[in-house]
Amino acid sequence: MSCHSPRITMLLFVCSILPLQSTHADDLRVNRLLASQCAQCHGTDGYSVAGIEPLAGESAKDLIEDLRDMRKEDKPENIMDHQAMGYTEDQIRRIAAYYSTIPEPGGSRSNESEEKEEKEKEEEESEYEKHED
Amino acid sequence: MTLNRRHFLKAAGAGLALANIPTIHAATPPRVIVIGGGFAGATVAKYIRLWSNFSVDVTLVDPKPQHTSCVLSNLILNNQLPFSKLKLPYSSLESKYGVNVVRDKAVEINGPGNQIRLKNGGWRSYDRLVIATGIGFKKPNGLDSKLSPHAWIAGGQTKLLARQLAGMNAESTFVMTIPKSPYRCPPGPYERACLVANMFVQRGLTSVDNPRVMVLDANSGIQAERETFSHAFNSIYRNVVQYVPDAEVHNVDSSSGMVYTTAGTFQGDILNVIPQNRATSFVRRQGLTDGDNWAPVDPTTYESVLSEFQGVHIIGDSQNTNQPKSAHMANAQAKICTDAILRSLSGIPTDTIERLRNITTNSACYSPITKDQASWLTANYFYNPDLEMMQLRHVGEAEEWNHSNYKQMFVWASNLFTDCFG
Repeated sequence: MSCHSPRITMLLFVCSILPLQSTHADDLRVNRLLASQCAQCHGTDGYSVAGIEPLAGESAKDLIEDLRDMRKEDKPENIMDHQAMGYTEDQIRRIAAYYSTIPEPGGSRSNESEEKEEKEKEEEESEYEKHED
Repeated sequence: MTLNRRHFLKAAGAGLALANIPTIHAATPPRVIVIGGGFAGATVAKYIRLWSNFSVDVTLVDPKPQHTSCVLSNLILNNQLPFSKLKLPYSSLESKYGVNVVRDKAVEINGPGNQIRLKNGGWRSYDRLVIATGIGFKKPNGLDSKLSPHAWIAGGQTKLLARQLAGMNAESTFVMTIPKSPYRCPPGPYERACLVANMFVQRGLTSVDNPRVMVLDANSGIQAERETFSHAFNSIYRNVVQYVPDAEVHNVDSSSGMVYTTAGTFQGDILNVIPQNRATSFVRRQGLTDGDNWAPVDPTTYESVLSEFQGVHIIGDSQNTNQPKSAHMANAQAKICTDAILRSLSGIPTDTIERLRNITTNSACYSPITKDQASWLTANYFYNPDLEMMQLRHVGEAEEWNHSNYKQMFVWASNLFTDCFG
Protein backbone atom coordinates (compact mmCIF):
# COMPACT_ATOMS: atom_id res chain seq x y z
CA MET A 1 0.00 0.00 0.00
CA SER A 2 1.33 3.42 -0.93
CA CYS A 3 1.56 5.97 1.86
CA HIS A 4 2.09 8.89 -0.47
CA SER A 5 -1.46 9.69 -1.49
CA PRO A 6 -2.96 12.86 0.10
CA ARG A 7 -5.82 10.78 1.52
CA ILE A 8 -3.49 8.46 3.41
CA THR A 9 -1.34 11.35 4.65
CA MET A 10 -4.46 13.00 6.02
CA LEU A 11 -5.51 9.76 7.67
CA LEU A 12 -2.15 9.46 9.39
CA PHE A 13 -2.64 12.96 10.76
CA VAL A 14 -6.14 12.19 11.98
CA CYS A 15 -4.96 8.97 13.64
CA SER A 16 -2.10 10.74 15.37
CA ILE A 17 -4.40 13.22 17.10
CA LEU A 18 -6.90 10.63 18.27
CA PRO A 19 -6.64 9.84 21.99
CA LEU A 20 -5.31 6.42 22.98
CA GLN A 21 -8.71 5.34 24.23
CA SER A 22 -10.23 5.83 20.79
CA THR A 23 -7.39 4.01 19.07
CA HIS A 24 -7.89 1.05 21.39
CA ALA A 25 -11.64 1.12 20.71
CA ASP A 26 -10.89 1.34 16.99
CA ASP A 27 -8.70 -1.76 17.27
CA LEU A 28 -11.51 -3.62 19.03
CA ARG A 29 -13.99 -2.62 16.35
CA VAL A 30 -11.57 -3.74 13.63
CA ASN A 31 -10.98 -7.06 15.39
CA ARG A 32 -14.70 -7.60 15.87
CA LEU A 33 -15.43 -6.87 12.21
CA LEU A 34 -12.68 -9.21 11.00
CA ALA A 35 -13.77 -11.97 13.38
CA SER A 36 -17.42 -11.62 12.36
CA GLN A 37 -16.46 -12.84 8.89
CA CYS A 38 -15.91 -16.29 10.41
CA ALA A 39 -19.43 -16.35 11.87
CA GLN A 40 -21.22 -17.44 8.69
CA CYS A 41 -19.82 -20.94 9.34
CA HIS A 42 -18.71 -20.81 12.99
CA GLY A 43 -21.79 -19.04 14.38
CA THR A 44 -22.47 -15.54 15.69
CA ASP A 45 -19.62 -14.63 18.07
CA GLY A 46 -18.25 -18.11 17.44
CA TYR A 47 -21.25 -19.93 18.92
CA SER A 48 -21.73 -22.58 16.26
CA VAL A 49 -25.21 -24.11 16.15
CA ALA A 50 -24.34 -27.16 14.04
CA GLY A 51 -21.40 -29.41 13.31
CA ILE A 52 -18.68 -26.78 12.82
CA GLU A 53 -16.17 -26.05 15.56
CA PRO A 54 -17.19 -23.15 17.84
CA LEU A 55 -14.57 -20.40 18.14
CA ALA A 56 -15.95 -18.66 21.24
CA GLY A 57 -13.50 -18.94 24.13
CA GLU A 58 -10.75 -20.57 22.05
CA SER A 59 -7.31 -19.60 23.30
CA ALA A 60 -5.64 -17.07 21.02
CA LYS A 61 -2.51 -19.22 20.97
CA ASP A 62 -4.36 -22.29 19.67
CA LEU A 63 -6.29 -20.36 17.05
CA ILE A 64 -3.18 -18.63 15.74
CA GLU A 65 -1.32 -21.95 15.57
CA ASP A 66 -4.20 -23.68 13.80
CA LEU A 67 -4.61 -20.92 11.23
CA ARG A 68 -0.87 -20.73 10.60
CA ASP A 69 -0.73 -24.49 10.06
CA MET A 70 -3.64 -24.30 7.61
CA ARG A 71 -1.96 -21.52 5.65
CA LYS A 72 1.21 -23.57 5.34
CA GLU A 73 -0.55 -26.49 3.67
CA ASP A 74 1.29 -27.30 0.43
CA LYS A 75 -1.81 -28.94 -0.85
CA PRO A 76 -4.87 -27.29 0.68
CA GLU A 77 -7.61 -29.86 0.96
CA ASN A 78 -10.50 -28.40 2.85
CA ILE A 79 -12.36 -25.12 2.98
CA MET A 80 -10.50 -23.86 6.04
CA ASP A 81 -7.09 -24.50 4.45
CA HIS A 82 -8.19 -22.16 1.69
CA GLN A 83 -9.94 -19.67 3.96
CA ALA A 84 -6.83 -19.32 6.16
CA MET A 85 -4.89 -18.23 3.07
CA GLY A 86 -7.23 -15.28 2.76
CA TYR A 87 -5.82 -13.56 5.85
CA THR A 88 -2.54 -11.88 6.80
CA GLU A 89 -0.58 -12.75 9.97
CA ASP A 90 -1.85 -9.57 11.60
CA GLN A 91 -5.44 -10.37 10.70
CA ILE A 92 -5.11 -13.88 12.11
CA ARG A 93 -3.80 -12.42 15.37
CA ARG A 94 -6.72 -9.97 15.51
CA ILE A 95 -9.32 -12.67 14.85
CA ALA A 96 -7.79 -14.90 17.52
CA ALA A 97 -7.64 -12.00 19.99
CA TYR A 98 -11.35 -11.36 19.52
CA TYR A 99 -12.57 -14.94 19.97
CA SER A 100 -10.37 -15.47 23.03
CA THR A 101 -12.38 -12.75 24.83
CA ILE A 102 -15.77 -14.36 24.16
CA PRO A 103 -17.01 -16.74 26.87
CA GLU A 104 -16.82 -20.32 25.68
CA PRO A 105 -20.09 -22.12 24.94
CA GLY A 106 -21.86 -23.51 27.98
CA GLY A 107 -20.68 -21.02 30.59
CA SER A 108 -18.02 -18.61 31.76
CA ARG A 109 -14.46 -19.67 32.30
CA SER A 110 -12.99 -19.81 35.76
CA ASN A 111 -10.54 -17.13 36.90
CA GLU A 112 -7.82 -19.74 36.97
CA SER A 113 -8.28 -20.74 33.35
CA GLU A 114 -8.53 -17.10 32.31
CA GLU A 115 -5.25 -16.31 34.07
CA LYS A 116 -3.59 -19.31 32.46
CA GLU A 117 -4.84 -18.25 29.07
CA GLU A 118 -3.74 -14.66 29.63
CA LYS A 119 -0.23 -15.91 30.39
CA GLU A 120 -0.27 -18.08 27.28
CA LYS A 121 -1.47 -15.11 25.28
CA GLU A 122 1.40 -12.95 26.50
CA GLU A 123 3.91 -15.65 25.65
CA GLU A 124 2.31 -16.07 22.26
CA GLU A 125 2.42 -12.35 21.56
CA SER A 126 6.13 -12.14 22.35
CA GLU A 127 6.72 -15.17 20.13
CA TYR A 128 4.73 -13.48 17.45
CA GLU A 129 6.84 -10.34 17.69
CA LYS A 130 9.97 -12.45 17.27
CA HIS A 131 8.40 -14.15 14.30
CA GLU A 132 7.61 -10.82 12.69
CA ASP A 133 11.22 -9.62 13.15
CA MET B 1 -43.98 -8.14 27.28
CA THR B 2 -41.52 -5.28 27.54
CA LEU B 3 -38.00 -6.26 26.66
CA ASN B 4 -35.25 -4.11 28.09
CA ARG B 5 -31.60 -3.89 27.09
CA ARG B 6 -30.46 -6.33 29.76
CA HIS B 7 -33.02 -8.83 28.55
CA PHE B 8 -31.70 -8.63 24.98
CA LEU B 9 -28.10 -8.91 26.14
CA LYS B 10 -28.90 -12.08 27.99
CA ALA B 11 -31.02 -13.47 25.16
CA ALA B 12 -28.41 -12.72 22.54
CA GLY B 13 -25.54 -14.05 24.64
CA ALA B 14 -23.51 -11.00 23.68
CA GLY B 15 -19.80 -11.43 24.22
CA LEU B 16 -17.44 -9.78 26.68
CA ALA B 17 -15.76 -7.86 23.89
CA LEU B 18 -18.91 -5.79 23.56
CA ALA B 19 -18.31 -4.12 26.89
CA ASN B 20 -15.01 -2.60 25.76
CA ILE B 21 -16.42 -0.79 22.73
CA PRO B 22 -18.21 2.47 23.58
CA THR B 23 -21.86 2.42 22.59
CA ILE B 24 -24.13 5.23 21.51
CA HIS B 25 -25.74 7.37 24.21
CA ALA B 26 -28.43 9.64 22.82
CA ALA B 27 -31.67 11.05 24.23
CA THR B 28 -33.49 9.70 21.18
CA PRO B 29 -32.11 6.46 19.78
CA PRO B 30 -30.79 6.79 16.22
CA ARG B 31 -33.10 5.19 13.67
CA VAL B 32 -32.01 2.76 10.97
CA ILE B 33 -34.53 1.46 8.43
CA VAL B 34 -33.67 -1.69 6.49
CA ILE B 35 -35.58 -2.38 3.28
CA GLY B 36 -35.66 -6.09 2.40
CA GLY B 37 -35.44 -9.09 4.73
CA GLY B 38 -33.23 -11.51 2.83
CA PHE B 39 -29.78 -12.64 3.95
CA ALA B 40 -28.27 -9.14 3.67
CA GLY B 41 -31.15 -7.26 5.30
CA ALA B 42 -31.67 -9.71 8.16
CA THR B 43 -27.94 -9.71 8.98
CA VAL B 44 -27.59 -5.94 9.04
CA ALA B 45 -30.72 -5.58 11.19
CA LYS B 46 -29.48 -8.17 13.70
CA TYR B 47 -25.88 -6.93 13.87
CA ILE B 48 -26.80 -3.25 14.24
CA ARG B 49 -28.86 -4.18 17.29
CA LEU B 50 -26.18 -6.50 18.65
CA TRP B 51 -23.14 -4.29 18.08
CA SER B 52 -24.88 -1.10 19.23
CA ASN B 53 -25.66 -2.80 22.52
CA PHE B 54 -29.33 -2.40 21.52
CA SER B 55 -29.06 1.39 21.53
CA VAL B 56 -30.06 1.90 17.87
CA ASP B 57 -33.67 1.58 16.77
CA VAL B 58 -33.88 -0.81 13.80
CA THR B 59 -36.94 -1.33 11.58
CA LEU B 60 -36.91 -4.10 8.96
CA VAL B 61 -39.43 -3.66 6.15
CA ASP B 62 -40.45 -6.57 3.94
CA PRO B 63 -43.75 -7.35 2.20
CA LYS B 64 -43.47 -11.04 3.10
CA PRO B 65 -43.95 -12.56 6.57
CA GLN B 66 -40.73 -14.59 6.24
CA HIS B 67 -37.85 -15.08 3.86
CA THR B 68 -37.57 -18.01 1.45
CA SER B 69 -33.95 -19.07 1.02
CA CYS B 70 -32.42 -19.45 -2.42
CA VAL B 71 -29.63 -21.36 -0.67
CA LEU B 72 -30.48 -25.10 -0.92
CA SER B 73 -33.48 -24.30 -3.17
CA ASN B 74 -32.21 -26.48 -6.05
CA LEU B 75 -32.86 -29.42 -3.71
CA ILE B 76 -36.60 -28.76 -4.02
CA LEU B 77 -36.32 -29.51 -7.73
CA ASN B 78 -35.00 -33.04 -7.21
CA ASN B 79 -37.19 -33.60 -4.17
CA GLN B 80 -34.30 -33.96 -1.69
CA LEU B 81 -35.59 -31.27 0.67
CA PRO B 82 -39.11 -30.20 1.71
CA PHE B 83 -39.97 -26.63 0.68
CA SER B 84 -40.68 -25.73 4.32
CA LYS B 85 -36.93 -26.01 5.06
CA LEU B 86 -36.32 -22.89 2.96
CA LYS B 87 -38.55 -20.75 5.18
CA LEU B 88 -36.64 -18.37 7.43
CA PRO B 89 -38.91 -16.50 9.84
CA TYR B 90 -38.17 -13.09 11.36
CA SER B 91 -39.27 -14.18 14.84
CA SER B 92 -35.75 -14.29 16.33
CA LEU B 93 -34.90 -10.88 14.94
CA GLU B 94 -37.95 -9.56 16.78
CA SER B 95 -37.83 -11.50 20.04
CA LYS B 96 -34.11 -11.94 20.55
CA TYR B 97 -32.75 -8.71 19.08
CA GLY B 98 -35.70 -6.29 19.28
CA VAL B 99 -35.86 -5.50 15.56
CA ASN B 100 -39.17 -3.88 14.57
CA VAL B 101 -40.37 -5.99 11.66
CA VAL B 102 -42.91 -4.18 9.49
CA ARG B 103 -44.81 -5.97 6.72
CA ASP B 104 -44.86 -3.28 4.07
CA LYS B 105 -43.20 -2.22 0.86
CA ALA B 106 -40.88 0.72 0.19
CA VAL B 107 -42.00 2.93 -2.69
CA GLU B 108 -40.01 6.17 -2.60
CA ILE B 109 -36.88 7.69 -1.04
CA ASN B 110 -36.41 11.35 -0.21
CA GLY B 111 -32.60 11.28 0.04
CA PRO B 112 -31.95 14.91 1.06
CA GLY B 113 -34.80 14.74 3.60
CA ASN B 114 -33.71 11.36 5.08
CA GLN B 115 -37.17 9.92 4.61
CA ILE B 116 -38.64 6.86 2.99
CA ARG B 117 -42.27 6.30 1.99
CA LEU B 118 -43.85 2.92 2.64
CA LYS B 119 -46.86 1.75 0.66
CA ASN B 120 -49.10 1.47 3.71
CA GLY B 121 -47.07 3.18 6.43
CA GLY B 122 -46.45 6.56 4.73
CA TRP B 123 -43.30 8.63 5.20
CA ARG B 124 -40.78 7.55 7.84
CA SER B 125 -37.62 9.37 8.91
CA TYR B 126 -34.29 7.63 9.25
CA ASP B 127 -30.76 8.47 10.28
CA ARG B 128 -29.45 5.70 8.04
CA LEU B 129 -31.24 3.69 5.37
CA VAL B 130 -30.10 0.24 4.21
CA ILE B 131 -31.49 -1.22 1.00
CA ALA B 132 -31.18 -4.98 0.61
CA THR B 133 -33.82 -5.85 -1.95
CA GLY B 134 -31.95 -8.55 -3.91
CA ILE B 135 -32.12 -8.91 -7.68
CA GLY B 136 -34.44 -7.83 -10.46
CA PHE B 137 -34.64 -9.18 -14.02
CA LYS B 138 -34.47 -7.83 -17.53
CA LYS B 139 -36.73 -10.32 -19.27
CA PRO B 140 -36.30 -11.15 -22.96
CA ASN B 141 -39.25 -10.62 -25.30
CA GLY B 142 -41.74 -13.47 -25.31
CA LEU B 143 -40.80 -14.88 -21.94
CA ASP B 144 -43.74 -15.87 -19.75
CA SER B 145 -42.27 -16.94 -16.39
CA LYS B 146 -45.56 -18.62 -15.48
CA LEU B 147 -44.85 -21.10 -18.28
CA SER B 148 -41.02 -20.94 -18.29
CA PRO B 149 -39.99 -20.37 -14.67
CA HIS B 150 -36.69 -18.77 -13.74
CA ALA B 151 -36.80 -20.19 -10.20
CA TRP B 152 -33.97 -17.74 -9.41
CA ILE B 153 -35.88 -16.08 -6.58
CA ALA B 154 -37.02 -18.92 -4.35
CA GLY B 155 -40.76 -19.34 -3.81
CA GLY B 156 -43.64 -20.11 -6.17
CA GLN B 157 -41.24 -20.21 -9.12
CA THR B 158 -39.23 -22.97 -7.43
CA LYS B 159 -42.38 -25.01 -6.82
CA LEU B 160 -43.51 -24.50 -10.43
CA LEU B 161 -40.22 -25.75 -11.88
CA ALA B 162 -40.26 -28.69 -9.44
CA ARG B 163 -43.75 -29.66 -10.66
CA GLN B 164 -42.66 -29.44 -14.30
CA LEU B 165 -39.60 -31.61 -13.62
CA ALA B 166 -41.68 -34.18 -11.74
CA GLY B 167 -43.75 -34.65 -14.89
CA MET B 168 -40.88 -35.24 -17.32
CA ASN B 169 -40.79 -38.46 -19.34
CA ALA B 170 -38.63 -40.41 -21.81
CA GLU B 171 -39.21 -37.79 -24.51
CA SER B 172 -38.62 -34.68 -22.38
CA THR B 173 -35.90 -32.13 -22.98
CA PHE B 174 -34.88 -29.56 -20.39
CA VAL B 175 -33.48 -26.28 -21.70
CA MET B 176 -31.98 -23.77 -19.30
CA THR B 177 -30.40 -20.41 -20.04
CA ILE B 178 -27.69 -18.74 -17.97
CA PRO B 179 -27.46 -14.92 -18.04
CA LYS B 180 -24.30 -12.91 -18.52
CA SER B 181 -22.29 -12.29 -15.36
CA PRO B 182 -22.72 -10.78 -12.88
CA TYR B 183 -25.74 -12.71 -11.71
CA ARG B 184 -26.90 -14.15 -8.38
CA CYS B 185 -25.07 -17.32 -7.23
CA PRO B 186 -22.34 -17.94 -9.87
CA PRO B 187 -22.24 -21.77 -9.47
CA GLY B 188 -26.04 -22.07 -9.11
CA PRO B 189 -27.06 -22.65 -12.75
CA TYR B 190 -24.41 -25.34 -13.30
CA GLU B 191 -25.40 -27.00 -10.04
CA ARG B 192 -29.01 -27.01 -11.24
CA ALA B 193 -27.99 -28.52 -14.59
CA CYS B 194 -26.19 -31.31 -12.72
CA LEU B 195 -29.17 -32.05 -10.48
CA VAL B 196 -31.62 -32.15 -13.38
CA ALA B 197 -29.21 -34.37 -15.34
CA ASN B 198 -29.01 -36.60 -12.29
CA MET B 199 -32.82 -36.89 -12.30
CA PHE B 200 -32.72 -38.09 -15.92
CA VAL B 201 -30.01 -40.62 -15.01
CA GLN B 202 -31.90 -41.83 -11.94
CA ARG B 203 -35.06 -42.37 -14.00
CA GLY B 204 -33.16 -44.14 -16.78
CA LEU B 205 -34.11 -41.46 -19.32
CA THR B 206 -30.71 -41.07 -21.00
CA SER B 207 -29.69 -41.66 -24.57
CA VAL B 208 -26.26 -41.33 -26.20
CA ASP B 209 -27.52 -39.45 -29.26
CA ASN B 210 -30.03 -37.21 -27.61
CA PRO B 211 -28.85 -34.97 -24.74
CA ARG B 212 -31.77 -34.22 -22.45
CA VAL B 213 -30.33 -31.21 -20.65
CA MET B 214 -29.34 -28.24 -22.81
CA VAL B 215 -27.32 -25.61 -20.92
CA LEU B 216 -27.28 -22.36 -22.89
CA ASP B 217 -24.73 -20.02 -21.35
CA ALA B 218 -24.58 -16.34 -22.36
CA ASN B 219 -21.01 -16.34 -21.04
CA SER B 220 -18.05 -17.75 -22.93
CA GLY B 221 -17.36 -20.37 -20.26
CA ILE B 222 -18.42 -21.83 -16.92
CA GLN B 223 -18.44 -18.99 -14.34
CA ALA B 224 -17.60 -20.86 -11.13
CA GLU B 225 -16.07 -24.21 -10.11
CA ARG B 226 -15.02 -24.63 -13.72
CA GLU B 227 -12.99 -27.81 -13.03
CA THR B 228 -15.79 -29.46 -11.13
CA PHE B 229 -18.66 -28.69 -13.50
CA SER B 230 -16.66 -29.37 -16.69
CA HIS B 231 -15.67 -32.70 -15.21
CA ALA B 232 -19.27 -33.53 -14.27
CA PHE B 233 -20.65 -32.54 -17.68
CA ASN B 234 -17.96 -34.59 -19.44
CA SER B 235 -18.03 -37.67 -17.24
CA ILE B 236 -21.12 -38.75 -15.30
CA TYR B 237 -23.44 -36.56 -17.40
CA ARG B 238 -21.75 -36.87 -20.79
CA ASN B 239 -24.81 -38.56 -22.30
CA VAL B 240 -27.21 -36.13 -20.71
CA VAL B 241 -25.83 -32.58 -20.76
CA GLN B 242 -24.95 -30.47 -23.75
CA TYR B 243 -23.16 -27.28 -22.69
CA VAL B 244 -23.37 -24.40 -25.18
CA PRO B 245 -21.26 -21.27 -24.43
CA ASP B 246 -21.81 -17.81 -25.96
CA ALA B 247 -25.55 -18.41 -26.19
CA GLU B 248 -27.12 -15.08 -25.36
CA VAL B 249 -30.91 -15.14 -25.43
CA HIS B 250 -32.57 -12.81 -27.97
CA ASN B 251 -36.13 -13.83 -27.35
CA VAL B 252 -38.27 -16.69 -26.16
CA ASP B 253 -41.58 -18.23 -27.13
CA SER B 254 -42.76 -19.78 -23.89
CA SER B 255 -45.88 -21.36 -25.42
CA SER B 256 -43.95 -23.33 -28.06
CA GLY B 257 -40.83 -23.85 -25.90
CA MET B 258 -38.51 -22.05 -28.32
CA VAL B 259 -35.39 -20.15 -27.24
CA TYR B 260 -33.61 -17.98 -29.81
CA THR B 261 -29.96 -17.30 -28.95
CA THR B 262 -26.71 -16.07 -30.51
CA ALA B 263 -25.65 -19.74 -30.70
CA GLY B 264 -28.80 -20.94 -32.47
CA THR B 265 -32.40 -21.86 -31.79
CA PHE B 266 -33.34 -24.51 -29.25
CA GLN B 267 -36.60 -26.14 -28.23
CA GLY B 268 -37.43 -27.68 -24.88
CA ASP B 269 -40.37 -29.31 -23.15
CA ILE B 270 -39.33 -27.61 -19.95
CA LEU B 271 -37.81 -24.13 -20.30
CA ASN B 272 -35.87 -22.69 -17.39
CA VAL B 273 -35.00 -19.19 -18.53
CA ILE B 274 -32.94 -17.23 -16.01
CA PRO B 275 -33.13 -13.67 -17.38
CA GLN B 276 -30.40 -11.06 -17.20
CA ASN B 277 -30.00 -9.99 -13.56
CA ARG B 278 -29.92 -6.36 -12.41
CA ALA B 279 -30.75 -4.29 -9.34
CA THR B 280 -34.39 -4.43 -8.28
CA SER B 281 -36.87 -2.04 -9.90
CA PHE B 282 -37.13 -0.12 -6.60
CA VAL B 283 -33.37 0.57 -6.59
CA ARG B 284 -33.39 1.52 -10.28
CA ARG B 285 -36.48 3.74 -10.03
CA GLN B 286 -34.95 5.74 -7.20
CA GLY B 287 -31.95 6.57 -9.38
CA LEU B 288 -29.48 4.59 -7.25
CA THR B 289 -28.01 2.65 -10.21
CA ASP B 290 -25.46 3.47 -12.87
CA GLY B 291 -25.37 2.51 -16.54
CA ASP B 292 -24.72 -1.13 -15.63
CA ASN B 293 -28.02 -1.35 -13.74
CA TRP B 294 -26.29 -2.01 -10.42
CA ALA B 295 -25.94 0.43 -7.50
CA PRO B 296 -22.43 1.90 -7.16
CA VAL B 297 -21.30 1.97 -3.50
CA ASP B 298 -18.17 2.52 -1.42
CA PRO B 299 -17.10 -1.04 -0.45
CA THR B 300 -15.84 0.16 2.94
CA THR B 301 -19.29 1.40 4.00
CA TYR B 302 -21.72 0.25 1.27
CA GLU B 303 -23.01 3.82 1.19
CA SER B 304 -24.17 5.02 -2.22
CA VAL B 305 -21.48 7.04 -4.01
CA LEU B 306 -24.19 9.33 -5.38
CA SER B 307 -24.17 12.64 -3.50
CA GLU B 308 -27.97 12.92 -3.27
CA PHE B 309 -28.11 9.61 -1.41
CA GLN B 310 -25.80 10.28 1.53
CA GLY B 311 -26.80 7.99 4.39
CA VAL B 312 -28.29 5.41 2.01
CA HIS B 313 -26.48 2.06 1.97
CA ILE B 314 -27.03 -0.75 -0.53
CA ILE B 315 -25.90 -4.28 0.37
CA GLY B 316 -26.31 -7.72 -1.17
CA ASP B 317 -27.16 -8.45 -4.76
CA SER B 318 -28.26 -4.99 -5.96
CA GLN B 319 -24.89 -3.29 -5.34
CA ASN B 320 -21.84 -3.41 -7.52
CA THR B 321 -18.50 -4.10 -5.83
CA ASN B 322 -16.87 -6.76 -7.95
CA GLN B 323 -17.74 -9.56 -5.52
CA PRO B 324 -19.91 -12.63 -6.13
CA LYS B 325 -23.61 -12.23 -5.45
CA SER B 326 -24.27 -14.87 -2.80
CA ALA B 327 -26.00 -15.21 0.57
CA HIS B 328 -22.70 -15.78 2.37
CA MET B 329 -21.25 -12.65 0.74
CA ALA B 330 -24.41 -10.64 1.47
CA ASN B 331 -23.92 -11.52 5.14
CA ALA B 332 -20.26 -10.42 4.95
CA GLN B 333 -21.19 -7.08 3.39
CA ALA B 334 -23.91 -6.52 5.98
CA LYS B 335 -21.30 -6.67 8.75
CA ILE B 336 -19.04 -4.10 7.06
CA CYS B 337 -22.09 -1.90 6.56
CA THR B 338 -23.08 -2.35 10.22
CA ASP B 339 -19.64 -1.30 11.46
CA ALA B 340 -19.68 1.74 9.13
CA ILE B 341 -23.15 2.84 10.23
CA LEU B 342 -22.35 2.52 13.94
CA ARG B 343 -19.13 4.48 13.48
CA SER B 344 -20.96 7.21 11.59
CA LEU B 345 -23.72 7.43 14.19
CA SER B 346 -21.02 7.75 16.88
CA GLY B 347 -18.99 10.34 14.95
CA ILE B 348 -16.08 7.91 14.52
CA PRO B 349 -14.33 7.88 11.14
CA THR B 350 -14.86 4.90 8.85
CA ASP B 351 -11.59 5.43 7.01
CA THR B 352 -8.95 4.86 9.67
CA ILE B 353 -5.90 3.09 8.25
CA GLU B 354 -6.40 0.09 10.51
CA ARG B 355 -9.97 -0.32 9.35
CA LEU B 356 -9.22 0.10 5.65
CA ARG B 357 -6.42 -2.48 5.92
CA ASN B 358 -8.82 -4.97 7.41
CA ILE B 359 -11.94 -4.80 5.26
CA THR B 360 -12.36 -8.43 4.24
CA THR B 361 -15.21 -10.51 2.91
CA ASN B 362 -15.45 -14.16 2.02
CA SER B 363 -17.81 -16.52 0.34
CA ALA B 364 -18.22 -20.23 0.71
CA CYS B 365 -20.82 -22.48 -0.80
CA TYR B 366 -21.54 -26.10 -1.48
CA SER B 367 -22.83 -27.34 -4.83
CA PRO B 368 -24.70 -30.63 -5.00
CA ILE B 369 -23.58 -32.54 -8.11
CA THR B 370 -25.70 -35.65 -7.61
CA LYS B 371 -28.62 -36.37 -5.29
CA ASP B 372 -26.26 -37.12 -2.42
CA GLN B 373 -22.84 -35.76 -3.34
CA ALA B 374 -21.53 -32.20 -3.40
CA SER B 375 -18.50 -30.06 -4.15
CA TRP B 376 -17.61 -26.67 -2.65
CA LEU B 377 -16.14 -23.32 -3.53
CA THR B 378 -14.50 -20.69 -1.35
CA ALA B 379 -13.17 -17.18 -2.03
CA ASN B 380 -11.62 -14.38 0.03
CA TYR B 381 -11.67 -10.71 -0.87
CA PHE B 382 -9.87 -7.72 0.63
CA TYR B 383 -10.11 -3.97 0.21
CA ASN B 384 -7.22 -2.41 -1.68
CA PRO B 385 -6.96 1.22 -0.41
CA ASP B 386 -4.80 2.23 -3.39
CA LEU B 387 -7.32 1.06 -5.95
CA GLU B 388 -10.27 1.80 -3.64
CA MET B 389 -11.91 -1.48 -4.56
CA MET B 390 -12.35 -5.07 -3.38
CA GLN B 391 -9.91 -7.60 -4.82
CA LEU B 392 -9.78 -11.37 -4.83
CA ARG B 393 -7.08 -12.65 -2.49
CA HIS B 394 -7.59 -16.40 -2.71
CA VAL B 395 -9.98 -18.86 -4.27
CA GLY B 396 -10.28 -22.61 -3.80
CA GLU B 397 -12.57 -25.39 -4.97
CA ALA B 398 -13.10 -28.98 -3.89
CA GLU B 399 -10.95 -31.58 -5.62
CA GLU B 400 -13.88 -33.94 -5.89
CA TRP B 401 -17.56 -34.19 -5.13
CA ASN B 402 -18.53 -36.64 -2.41
CA HIS B 403 -21.11 -37.53 0.22
CA SER B 404 -19.15 -35.99 3.06
CA ASN B 405 -19.37 -32.57 1.35
CA TYR B 406 -23.08 -33.14 0.81
CA LYS B 407 -23.64 -33.68 4.53
CA GLN B 408 -21.42 -30.71 5.41
CA MET B 409 -23.53 -28.51 3.12
CA PHE B 410 -26.46 -28.71 5.55
CA VAL B 411 -24.20 -27.91 8.51
CA TRP B 412 -22.85 -24.83 6.70
CA ALA B 413 -26.36 -23.72 5.71
CA SER B 414 -27.62 -24.15 9.25
CA ASN B 415 -24.89 -21.91 10.69
CA LEU B 416 -25.29 -19.37 7.89
CA PHE B 417 -29.07 -19.20 8.32
CA THR B 418 -28.65 -18.71 12.07
CA ASP B 419 -25.98 -16.02 11.73
CA CYS B 420 -28.40 -14.08 9.53
CA PHE B 421 -31.82 -14.80 11.04
CA GLY B 422 -31.26 -16.50 14.40
